[in-house]
Amino acid sequence: MQPATGLAGQFEVLNALILREMKTRFGAHQLGYLWAVIEPSLWIGTFVGMFAMVGRTAPDGMETVSFIATGLLPFTLFRESVGRAVSAVAGNKGLLFYPQIQPLDLVLARAVLECVTLMLVFAVIICTAAIWSDRWPHVADWLRFTLGFIAAAALGSSLGLLLLGLSVFTPTIERLYGPMLRPLFWFSGVFYTANGLPAPVRDFMLYNPVLHIVELVRSGWFVEYRSLHADPGYVTAWIIALSFAGLVVERVARRRLEVV
Amino acid sequence: MISLDRVTKAYQVHDGLHLVLNDVSIDFPPRRNIGVVGPNGAGKSTLLRIIAGIEAPDQGRVTRKGRVSWPIGFGGGFNGSLSGEENCRFVARIYGESVDEVVAFTKEFAELGKYFDMPVKTYSSGMRARLAFGLSMAIDFDVYLVDEVTAVGDATFQKKCRATFESRSGRSSVIIVSHNLKTIREYCDSCAVLQHGRVTFCPSVDDAERIYQI
Repeated sequence: MQPATGLAGQFEVLNALILREMKTRFGAHQLGYLWAVIEPSLWIGTFVGMFAMVGRTAPDGMETVSFIATGLLPFTLFRESVGRAVSAVAGNKGLLFYPQIQPLDLVLARAVLECVTLMLVFAVIICTAAIWSDRWPHVADWLRFTLGFIAAAALGSSLGLLLLGLSVFTPTIERLYGPMLRPLFWFSGVFYTANGLPAPVRDFMLYNPVLHIVELVRSGWFVEYRSLHADPGYVTAWIIALSFAGLVVERVARRRLEVV
Repeated sequence: MISLDRVTKAYQVHDGLHLVLNDVSIDFPPRRNIGVVGPNGAGKSTLLRIIAGIEAPDQGRVTRKGRVSWPIGFGGGFNGSLSGEENCRFVARIYGESVDEVVAFTKEFAELGKYFDMPVKTYSSGMRARLAFGLSMAIDFDVYLVDEVTAVGDATFQKKCRATFESRSGRSSVIIVSHNLKTIREYCDSCAVLQHGRVTFCPSVDDAERIYQI
């Protein structure tokens, strides 16, 4: 019997990779796990402070900290998933030494860990804010909310997989994708809702699947908010198309990714 | 039993293609220790990686019956920032073995003392090789793939490895690649010669020596 054949073997490999990734990412510093929470908290704190300074409140009566968190964290999950996927092989080259581990496994393990981490970060931030304000939120639709997070990780990882494959042929991609993705931050509904945008601008911005994801998460979280434009089918189409392209390119590039 | 059927593998080099394995067909019979000898750069490590399944051949087929190890030797496949024990845990998990048993066996076998709990990047190359060897011994493989066994540890440790292999000779076997016939003679009954992209199988190490000298 060859180890790690079929689904059970795949699960063993993923489980081992996730545990290992946790060790290497968070275990290195004593503040490891804490740091995962501190960084996004600082971001959210900054934006909440800016909202307060200009006297802005979240639309439709949403609570401000949760409003920013439901925008910033799915976006961060998307962006981080891209980066983690692109660097998955370079950071774990030695692991391809084991026959049952393929580049795709490295990308998958990182995607799962990233998704779980950011959902936990979200929980910590929301709980802290709730204790602070003594107002506990009622979640509108857990499934929609969770699927939104998973979609952010899936979209980011499939794009990352594609970029990883392409970077084997064009190494400059590794340096280009970061700056190219940065503007998305302003077009993904982190500080506003699609409902609140003027129609011509909105129609254009809705081409961006990350905006749909933020809308999904927000309408899944808030009872107060009903997104008129979030389209799960559109996001799924993007994920399927990018995964397909990513898998094809990975297949072609695998030979050169394998070289340890 | 491991069989290579018309396996071809080439690498892109600056002045065209370098043919490492040229239409190679060879059977490694079960429960026999087999060496592969060849000059440096002949493609011994590539052959081992193809046997292990890390790399796919450009053409041809590889069939494996039984559980085949990863190529053991230089301690590739360890994460430098994790400790010896943590690396063992990881490998035990991906092979579906009991984590505690693998850790306990490796700790005992590799004799790394307090280094077992320290990051692998602090190890000397000999220590890494001992960890790799101990770890592979902790998992019951049918075939152990060994890359340049001369690199592994001092004389006492090598003696220990040889004794362990001998005690398992009924159950498992080794395929060793080396540029040195002397090491192959110590472990193996038969020997294949890899030269110019071709592999010649010899029933005894002496036959291999005759070809390899030329």
